[in-house]
Amino acid sequence: MILKKSLWSWALTRCRGLQALLLLLIVFTVFFRVFPLEMQKRIINEAVRFRKIHTLFVYCGLYMGAVLLAGLLKYAINVLQGYIGQKILVEMRTGLYRHILQLPIGFYRRTPPGMVISSLTAEISSVADFLGSAVTVPVVNVLTLATFGAYMFHLNPLLAVLSLATYPFEIAIIPFLQKRFNRLNSERVTVTRAMSNAVGEAVSGIHEIHANASYDLENEKVARFSRNLLQLRHRMNLYKFGIKFTNNFFQSLGPFLLFLIGGYLSIQGRFSLGALVAFLSAYEKLYDPWKELMDFYQDYQNASVSYRRIQEAFDVQPEFRISAPEPKPVHISGHVRVEDLSFEVDGHIRLLEQINVELKPGQRLALVGLSGSGKSTLAMIMAQLYRYDYGHVYLDQYELKELAKAELTPHLGFVAQYPFIFDGSIRENILYGFRAMAAFDGGTSEPVEPAPGEVLDIVERVGLTEDVLRFGLNTVLGRECCEELTAKVLRARRLLHQTWGSQLGDSVEFFQEGTFLDYSSIATNIVFGYPVGEGRPCEILPKSPRFRAFLEESGLWEPLLALGLDVARRTVPLLSDLGDDPFFFQQSPIPADELDLYRHILEHYRGPSVPIHPRDTEPLLALALRTIPGKHKMVVVPQALRSKILEARPLFRDYCSQKDPDAFIYYSENEYLYSRTLLENLLFGRLKEEASWVWDKVMEAVLEILHKENLYDHVLHLGLEFQVGSKGDRLSGGQKQKVGIARALLKKPRVLILDEATASLDMASQHRIQHYLDVELRGKTTIISVAHRLETIRDYDLIAVMKSGQIVEIGGYEELLERKGLFYELVRGHQ
Amino acid sequence: MSSYEDTNRESLGSASGSMECACELDQNVEILRRVDVFAGVPLERLKVYALLCKRRRFEKGQFIFQQGEADDKAYILIQGTAQVIRQYEDHSFLVHELHPGDFFGGLALLADVKRLFAVRATTDVEVLTIDRESFRKILRQFPELVEKILDVMIGRIVRMEEKLLERHIHECVIQ
Repeated sequence: MILKKSLWSWALTRCRGLQALLLLLIVFTVFFRVFPLEMQKRIINEAVRFRKIHTLFVYCGLYMGAVLLAGLLKYAINVLQGYIGQKILVEMRTGLYRHILQLPIGFYRRTPPGMVISSLTAEISSVADFLGSAVTVPVVNVLTLATFGAYMFHLNPLLAVLSLATYPFEIAIIPFLQKRFNRLNSERVTVTRAMSNAVGEAVSGIHEIHANASYDLENEKVARFSRNLLQLRHRMNLYKFGIKFTNNFFQSLGPFLLFLIGGYLSIQGRFSLGALVAFLSAYEKLYDPWKELMDFYQDYQNASVSYRRIQEAFDVQPEFRISAPEPKPVHISGHVRVEDLSFEVDGHIRLLEQINVELKPGQRLALVGLSGSGKSTLAMIMAQLYRYDYGHVYLDQYELKELAKAELTPHLGFVAQYPFIFDGSIRENILYGFRAMAAFDGGTSEPVEPAPGEVLDIVERVGLTEDVLRFGLNTVLGRECCEELTAKVLRARRLLHQTWGSQLGDSVEFFQEGTFLDYSSIATNIVFGYPVGEGRPCEILPKSPRFRAFLEESGLWEPLLALGLDVARRTVPLLSDLGDDPFFFQQSPIPADELDLYRHILEHYRGPSVPIHPRDTEPLLALALRTIPGKHKMVVVPQALRSKILEARPLFRDYCSQKDPDAFIYYSENEYLYSRTLLENLLFGRLKEEASWVWDKVMEAVLEILHKENLYDHVLHLGLEFQVGSKGDRLSGGQKQKVGIARALLKKPRVLILDEATASLDMASQHRIQHYLDVELRGKTTIISVAHRLETIRDYDLIAVMKSGQIVEIGGYEELLERKGLFYELVRGHQ
Repeated sequence: MSSYEDTNRESLGSASGSMECACELDQNVEILRRVDVFAGVPLERLKVYALLCKRRRFEKGQFIFQQGEADDKAYILIQGTAQVIRQYEDHSFLVHELHPGDFFGGLALLADVKRLFAVRATTDVEVLTIDRESFRKILRQFPELVEKILDVMIGRIVRMEEKLLERHIHECVIQ
């Protein structure tokens, strides 16, 4: 393991060139630290005493130069130290992380993520801070101390001995205090980790916390740790500053002796005044290196504590070898043989007992049984996720547990029931397994990609094409994006209008210059475009003074406020009892959280013609502007207002082109609209409803056009770039499973293990994937499938029925049914 | 708010016309009120149903839904006429003719069942639809409605079945 090394070996073996340079700089610094002392002596003894102005200037100049150089060198040393420390940190951290990732799944069952995170961040970086200074600080300070000491000895041996006499006392007392400090520090690490765990747990369990309103309960957990930390920190400070006090006290004893004895000697004339000044300076200068050594000592102790705690925490060996012992690749045909396999977890709980099963290459095995029967465990052992101790699993002639990950992974695909989806695009998630596999033999220089079209092919096979197409069509292209594509889209738009325009009338509202858009907001209707910057028109405009001025000028101000009030009057009473269910607010211009605001406003306008208070104009205008007449059915936009808005449209464009020509981009048949989705650009319009029949109808037209214009694959590729969000939150359960299956299939494995991998899929998708497995992979890939839908395993070669960790029945589907045993019961139970 | 209902009595049948003072919601309310299932629902609640209803047009000859299809919506015919058709392996029966104001396919609101018959538009039609999720959400929100609505729905189903059985006696073959 990477952290088996001692702390010192890190310091001594890394960045040797830089460390040598550092030492060289140090020798110079030490010289430049002592040099000013000699100058001080000479200034007083030679220049001042004999009143030589010229000499004074020379010495002062030299003094100044030496101080400046010493300062610059110190600066360089600090920067170098920092760099060396951080460089070692990179190596330590990546090495430790690599080790942590390889640790067995069992390790993670008992290790909370908070602890791993705090080890990899705060704890390890305190170690690195120390390592940067590990070599240089002791060397520079011991050297400085020795040099000053020697210089003092040279000035006056008696005084030197006297002033250095206090140090041995310190050396005796300080380690005693430090040891107690260390014990507390180690305890602090424990408490800090526990606190990270409590926070980590709360974050991942936030649903439960909200559901139970257990805020105080959770807060108390962390508060308890915080109070505990306060105690520890306080006690640590007692020792830490105790050390400082001891240090300072003995340090200040020195000058006392010096003045007493030095002064006496000077009065007697046995010691020059200059020498006394130099001696005092030297003594004072001793303080710095000594203090640095003390600090270094404390840093060292802290770093050792952290380092030891990390060492202890991760002192676990990976269960499987990672890289191959020999470079020659392993060939596997897919023959699987399990012999007398038993599996135990801690406390000698037997999860599997005497499993025997054999599969020829290309055969298919289904594992069935009630939950807790061990079928998933068996699948996971065969996927090398757990290490087994009793019995054998052979993959061709290889014992599974002896195969290194690098040897096994190209041949093995595993799909979990809930595949983990990483933050990033769909493409990255599908390529995940492939890239990991390629990294083993390809190195890391160039990311290896599968042949073009292969990803789309797999996407099609797992039935993800429609989803990807939808994502692609809903992409909002960046302005910097491909002109070629947008030009194609514009061509496709024209073609679509020609061939499909009239047929799409009831599902699409096209953006037509002189027409009122029922399915766009009032704001969009006025602007007939969108703002160049961030945000939607109906969010930005109500706040803009210029826009308000335009509304007043064009006579829209009053009617829009009246509309806003009318919308509020119609909406608030309708939804007022439904405030707790967002479902009902899908068709509402007032979101659930603003219902109270508008209810409150309405209270002032009970009468028929109450003038609108200036305070209410912004929310009412905002409401009017965001109203979409076709969607918000409680609303009527009077014919007069519609005409007025249509009249205002060109006026607004003129108005803006004078005052702020770059603020908006206006809808135009011949332009790509960058704030709109690809689909809306193709249509140059919007869907009138979210309903599936609308989508299906539009898709018929869109697909034809995409194929005709050679845009289809392009859109799919855009769809593959869809960002799935953290843990794939923006995908449905079924989509995640499809991505997981695609990830495994792309590797073209010899052995494919599916752990209820199609459980979240609808029937149609399930059949589609089953068909692929049945037809395309038949005879090529050995499949082991934990199945819960028994009708999908009808023609599997073998079905193993499991109960309490044992295979109780094994055979073909019909054969097992005839036996009228457990399988028969299971099948009957399903019907 | 109640002033709207009085002004658009005639909206049924020309619902998508230019009734300027009535919003689609109020038109929908008016349509729903005339259907027995919703007739007993207080106006305030009916408006919530009306809000969640959607309109859709079908062309002459198009199927509104097919027999055996899993569909989650109930329909009210607003405009035009349609036929209820029961299909057998080699022939079909015209079970019933639908006219504006007729409510059909209501079983889908109660359970996820496959369509027992098909409905085909005989002219261009416009229908009002409500889906199961919306229907159930409202019932959950206002449990006092459940009994009233279910009674009528079950009554309808029984009558429907009766009618179907009767029709089968005088089967009228088309094509």
